[in-house]
Parts: sequence; structure tokens; C-alpha cells
Amino acid sequence: MEAATQMCMRLAQAYVPFQIFTNRWDPMKALMMGTVFPELYRPYHSKKC
Amino acid sequence: MHSTQLKMLNDLQALEFTTFDFHLYLDTHPNDQRALAEYARAHCEAERVKDMYTASFGPLTAEDSINQPCWRWIEEPWPWEINY
Repeated sequence: MEAATQMCMRLAQAYVPFQIFTNRWDPMKALMMGTVFPELYRPYHSKKC
Repeated sequence: MHSTQLKMLNDLQALEFTTFDFHLYLDTHPNDQRALAEYARAHCEAERVKDMYTASFGPLTAEDSINQPCWRWIEEPWPWEINY
């Protein structure tokens, strides 16, 4: 951190939008998807070479 | 593990997962009334299924072994022994 300041580099700023609860999945679906909130479901897709 | 037991265990896992996901949401949204109601509902339902499960199949955790004739929870299959 000190080294970055000495080099006049700007610090990183994070921005996370505030989640608003709208819908929910039922418990079994939530367990399978890894979240009860559909808006948080963001699976990784493998890139095809 | 018998299919009835496995189904009930799976239902309990789903309900406990749901309870904990609402718990995490409420940590950052403590006044969301709908989420509070969903948390309470999932928690009660999980407790109900857990009571049903332990009454039928025995204790799931060490704490559930209290008031049992012996340290019974070790008689349950370990998670890696369950064929989901």
C-alpha cells in the first residue's frame, strides 16, 4: 500500500450494487442452484477452445 | 440409506440451506420484512423436518444425542457414506 502511494498510483475502488429481494426459488431448487435468489445465479461456463 | 430417509435428509438440507441464505441476506438487509418472514418460515419448517427425521431415524448431531441412552449420533452414516 505504501509503495503504491509513493508511486502516485490510485487506489482501487469497488462498487457493488445493493441487492433487492424480489423472487425466490423453492428450497430444493435453491440447494441445486447454490442460492435462493435467482438474481444471484451466475454459473461459470467453460470456454470451448 | 433407505429412500424415505434419504428424501427427508435431502429436504432438511434444502431447508437449512434456504434458512442460511436468508440469514446472509438479512445481515445486510435487516429491515426487509419479507425476507424476515421467509427466514422465519424456512427456519420453522427446517426444525419441523429435523424433529421428524430424528424421531424416525435417530440423532443427526451430537447435541441431538442428549437424553438418548447412549452417544447415538455416531450410528448415523457419515456424509461420505451416503449415496445421494
